[in-house]
Parts: sequence; structure tokens; C-alpha cells
Amino acid sequence: MFAKHPETALVPYLRGELDRDEHSRVESHLETCARCRASIESSASMLREISEKVAQIPEPDWIRYRAQLRRRLAARREQPQTWWRPEYSWMSLAAAGALAATIALTIAIRPTQQLGPTPPPVDQLALEDAPADLGLLRDYPVVEHLDLLENYDEISNLDQLAPAASRNEKSSS
Amino acid sequence: MEFSDEELCRQVAGGEASAFDALVERYQARAYRLACSILGNEADARDVSQDAFIRLYEAASRFDERSKFSTWFHRILVNLCIDHQRRNRWWRKMVPIGKRDDDPDAPEIDFPSDAPGPDVEIIRGESAGRLRGALDKLSANQRAAVLMQAEEGFTSREIAEVLGCSEATARVHVHRGIAALKKILKGEEP
Repeated sequence: MFAKHPETALVPYLRGELDRDEHSRVESHLETCARCRASIESSASMLREISEKVAQIPEPDWIRYRAQLRRRLAARREQPQTWWRPEYSWMSLAAAGALAATIALTIAIRPTQQLGPTPPPVDQLALEDAPADLGLLRDYPVVEHLDLLENYDEISNLDQLAPAASRNEKSSS
Repeated sequence: MEFSDEELCRQVAGGEASAFDALVERYQARAYRLACSILGNEADARDVSQDAFIRLYEAASRFDERSKFSTWFHRILVNLCIDHQRRNRWWRKMVPIGKRDDDPDAPEIDFPSDAPGPDVEIIRGESAGRLRGALDKLSANQRAAVLMQAEEGFTSREIAEVLGCSEATARVHVHRGIAALKKILKGEEP
């Protein structure tokens, strides 16, 4: 006997899926439970109606269906090969380069006239957003000579900048 | 000579195009019909069922024959249908029956009626459109489980394999799906 109604076993019972023991238990329960008998009857009816009504769908033209499937499959097979084959990898690099150049060009020639109020310069925004980090940067002597970094020749002598900065500080104090 | 589905799938894995064509012809109607029932749309059903065949072609070598080919293929198909619905119907609020659709541990749904007669009469009188509308209100797993049971005659074990859940959970999906359909068709939807 079941302690409660064997609700989830009713459809499997109907379909003959249950093993012998469970089948017997459900069968004995159904003999005494009108509610489960009603449920199993309406479930059978529901499944039958779905099978007869919902599943009756006009079929497509299968020749066209398969032709379309073949075209899609062929396109799919070509796509990854073209992208991954090494001899074509330079093409993807060239495409990426062209895209980057287009973006750079767009930024360079964009109209300078602004519709709204002019936003503050980006570096100013950055300063406002990161005061804590700047505290560290200010203690670093090289930062005082950022303008020198615009001259790339200075980069090769970067290690000499810090002592120079220290010397300047001593002389000014 | 008629090859089994499993043998044809092995041949597809070996690059045999005619084996793929044979499998498509064998499964196209079932795949399209089930996709159409789940998605409720013929154009989507065509695309998604074709997607399933493309996946079959690409994954044939990974079919390990631990389950029947039909179960394996339906797993691909049903997952694609469910994914398609999630992707394309994000804007649509699926009407849950309570808040416990897919939780097998949740309290049970009340039976619609204790009396043996009226439910069957109501169900028999339903049009295909109203049945489809009611199916559409089920959760994705419930809908797929009920349709696989009704249309394909899948057992609970096969439904479980397709949905990637336990057999007990598959039974719960079918039971709750049918119980919810009865409630909706009787106008008792929340």
C-alpha cells in the first residue's frame, strides 16, 4: 500500500513501464481510490488528445527541407575551415588591422563640435577618480619627468632619472 | 539491407554522406513534429530540427552507444528547442503553475477534481489551438516531457535520458505537466 496517492507512478502504470512490484502496488491502490482512477483516466485522455490533435501538424516539403539542410551543412563545414586554416590566418590579421585602422580614422576625423557642455579632459577625470593611487605616484620621482618620456631617447636612460630627481630636490631645498 | 540507427550513426562518423541522408529521412518527420509541438512555430521548428541534424553530423563520432540513437538524437533536439525558447522568448513571461514547476521536492499539486467524469469530457472537447495554448504555459521541461510521452511514446527512463535528469524527476515532470494542463483547460490557472 502507498502512504499517499502514487501520483507520479500513474502514467508509467498506464504505459506498462513499472516493474512487477510497483505495478501490483499501484493496481491495489487503484482498486480502492476513486481519485486516482479518475486521474489516470483523465491523464490517458489528455495524452491521447495531445497525440491526436497537437501532433497533427502539416508537414513541410521534405525535398526542400533536405536541400536547405544540405546547404546549411555545407556552409557550416566551410566556415570553420576558412577561419582556422593557417594559410588564411594572415587574412584574419589583415582584417583585424583594417578594422583597427578604421576605428582610429573615425576617432581622428570625428567632429570636434560638441552638442552639450564640454566634458573635462580625460586625464582630469582620471585624476578625480584615483586620488589614492596618485598619492603613490607623486612619491615616485620619475613621474615628475613624465614630459621627458615623450622623448623616447630618454627611456634608454630611465634608470638615471631617479638620482637626478633626488639631486634636484636636494638643491631646491 | 536496412541498417540500424546506431550503425548509420557510426557510418556518419566515418564520413559516409549517404548514411547521414538515411538518418535524416528516417527522423525528419518526428524531429520536425516534436520541435513544432515544443516551439509552437513551424519556421522555428524547421530551423531547430535542421540544427539538430547538423549537430548530429558534427557529433556522430561522440555517440558512444550507451543509450539508443533515438534517445541521443532527441536529447540534442530537445535541448536545442529549450535553448531556442530561452533565447528568443526572454521577453515572454512563462506562466508558472505555482512557483514549483521543476522542483521535484516541492509540495504536490492538487488534483483538479476527485470526480471521475468531467475532466475527461473537458479534455475531449478541447481544440488543438487551446491544447497548444495550454502546453505553451508549461515550463520547458514539463512541456518537453509531456510531448515526448504523448507523441513519441517515450518511457520515463528515455525522457530522463533526454532531459538529463533522474527517472523520478522525469515522472514528476510528466505528472505535473498533465496536472497543470488539466487545471489550465478547466480555467483554474492562477
